[in-house]
Amino acid sequence: MKEQSDPNKVWPTGLTEAESEEIHRHLIQGTQIFGFIAVLAHLFAYIYSPWLK
Amino acid sequence: MIYGKLWCVVKPSVGIPLFLSAVAISSFAVHLTLLNTAPWLRNFYAGAGPKAAMVVEPPAVAAAPPQATVTASADTAKKP
Repeated sequence: MKEQSDPNKVWPTGLTEAESEEIHRHLIQGTQIFGFIAVLAHLFAYIYSPWLK
Repeated sequence: MIYGKLWCVVKPSVGIPLFLSAVAISSFAVHLTLLNTAPWLRNFYAGAGPKAAMVVEPPAVAAAPPQATVTASADTAKKP
């Protein structure tokens, strides 16, 4: 049986589970944006430079 | 969300700078290594076009020292 966690519990870092998940959501979103820009940059590098040619 | 509760046990003021600096340092290291190992990349960044950057100069060959030539001097030539 899965243990029900207390949503109001403040963890040692001073955050609740909801706050932790909010931070994580923003971090994941930032990583996805960074990844998208990096993929775009590598695509341009492949097209306009002698890389892999 | 997977690993969403991570920040309950890792302080965000420690974990986030650690994560961002790991990304920055590793990507910088990869590109620095490429700059030092791919000869065309330095040429390309120095302003050579895509075709010119691929032309890699051969390693410099040391010039051979001038050879000593033995020539008959005017004095020896006159002697019988």
